[in-house]
Amino acid sequence: MNQKRAGQALIRMAFWAVVAVLVFSFAINSYLSGEMTHWYYYKASTSGYAINDNSFLAATKDKPILLQVVAADQIVGQQAVKVSKGDLLPTGANGVIAEAEVQDGKRVALEGSNLKVMVPTQIKEQSGIKYSDTYRHKGIETNPLSGPWNVGVVLLMGLSLGMLAQAFTDLFGLEFKPTGQTRAH
Amino acid sequence: MFEFLIAGISTPWALLVFTGFTVGVVGGFIGVGGGYMVTPALVVFGFPGHMAAGIDITHIAGKGVIASIRHRQLGNIDWTLAMTVVSGTMFGVEMGVRILDYFKEQGLSTVAVLTASFILMTGLFIYTQYETRSAARQTAKLESEGHDIGREVVATDLPRHLQRIPLAPIIRLRTARVVISLWVIVLVGMFTGTLAGFLGVGGGFIAVPALVYLIGATTHVAVGSDLVQIIFSGSYGALRHTMEGNVDFLAVMFMLCGAVFGAQFGSIATAYVRGPAIRFILSYSLALAGLGALFPLINQLTGSSIPLLSALAVTLTLGQMIFLCTYILSLLTFALLARRGRWVPIWALPFLVRYPVARSRPVQAAQAVPVQEVGGER
Repeated sequence: MNQKRAGQALIRMAFWAVVAVLVFSFAINSYLSGEMTHWYYYKASTSGYAINDNSFLAATKDKPILLQVVAADQIVGQQAVKVSKGDLLPTGANGVIAEAEVQDGKRVALEGSNLKVMVPTQIKEQSGIKYSDTYRHKGIETNPLSGPWNVGVVLLMGLSLGMLAQAFTDLFGLEFKPTGQTRAH
Repeated sequence: MFEFLIAGISTPWALLVFTGFTVGVVGGFIGVGGGYMVTPALVVFGFPGHMAAGIDITHIAGKGVIASIRHRQLGNIDWTLAMTVVSGTMFGVEMGVRILDYFKEQGLSTVAVLTASFILMTGLFIYTQYETRSAARQTAKLESEGHDIGREVVATDLPRHLQRIPLAPIIRLRTARVVISLWVIVLVGMFTGTLAGFLGVGGGFIAVPALVYLIGATTHVAVGSDLVQIIFSGSYGALRHTMEGNVDFLAVMFMLCGAVFGAQFGSIATAYVRGPAIRFILSYSLALAGLGALFPLINQLTGSSIPLLSALAVTLTLGQMIFLCTYILSLLTFALLARRGRWVPIWALPFLVRYPVARSRPVQAAQAVPVQEVGGER
């Protein structure tokens, strides 16, 4: 009888282990292949220039960095792509420098077909305190389908790991039966 | 170091696994999501604030499932209670968010949230300390008189009064062994949901004491049922945060890998300790979280002239995660040692269930102690 139960526990453990590994591998693969990143940096929520802020983090007023404005589906190196509100972002973009910021010309300016970045951060003000913030995550919109996808995968991962752990303890005979809810006061 | 492409930062993945483990232990044991601990920790690791909150709530949904599976096996989930609380909580969260919006318009949101957090957590800390110590004294006294007592000892009369409210429909919570008006549970859910929505947290640390001290559920059932509730609130939060672009999914997966082990230890530990032990640790957790709110509050009220206070709050948050995790694992170790007849510290004895879980049989409260059961079967 015990052997039969151990055998069942082993089958359950193997099944849930396979499910957990598949879910985890699928998530890792989607992430590292850039598919998930593209879902996150999905659309422009403002008109401006799609950029990858890693390409100009070293920019200063004395040594500005020029980003070549191109019309492409992918940003490679020091490039920027002009986008309108609602446009799909090119692969590799991780933020949008708003048109207004460029027209202001204090930190970023348009020079011919190049975007001249003099200050790699934007200045924000809150509660009377000024602080600088990167352009990363700014002016972007996430794919609305990513919400249900994320929740579904997280719940499936939780279910598979939870069932795997339960099967593991069952396999070694560590059964935790209810003890009854007795109380006194 | 691992490069998180969405968050745009590099941080050791092992730190996330470790955080998932520690919060999994604490969450599985006291039935909280642990948002008030994880979010500051993720900020310390370099994640932007909005992303820390999103990663935290998403991992809480997954961890809720893991811990609930184990608590279901332990018989700690009252599904009727959990689903009724969920219905009230959803309304409450919406109300809490609207109240927060009101304070936001007045420009007082930070001060209001921190003040409410501090008052609430300090109040709950004082009450749970008083009640838990009283229950521990009772346990020691009853044991010294030779009574075979079960897992739960409660030193409050409040649930008995609420259970007498004759407002139909009256429902019977079989696992929690409580008969009570459905509206009382919904109202308690709304109350805890409002606070959770206002304070921007999952609300487990409010819901668990509320289920014990207001509804009359045993601590174990309160923990298990609250974890089910957390799956729903966590999933909703995860959905909203993902759509706002606040979630780096791989960080969530790393945290879940740690949580799977942590939640097992935390959940299984509840089978070895009495209710007061869980409430005792919850109490310390509240005290530390209250201090964590006090420092930024002073910082805010003094116009950020003492930046050391923010650093102190972060240190306290990280410290409490490790402290609580160690404390829970120590109790589990002591319980196992006690069952083998080995030495354990005297202070731990009233907190430990010393009969083997697998071979134990339910002990009737009337047999257990010569007092009336709170909300017993009718």
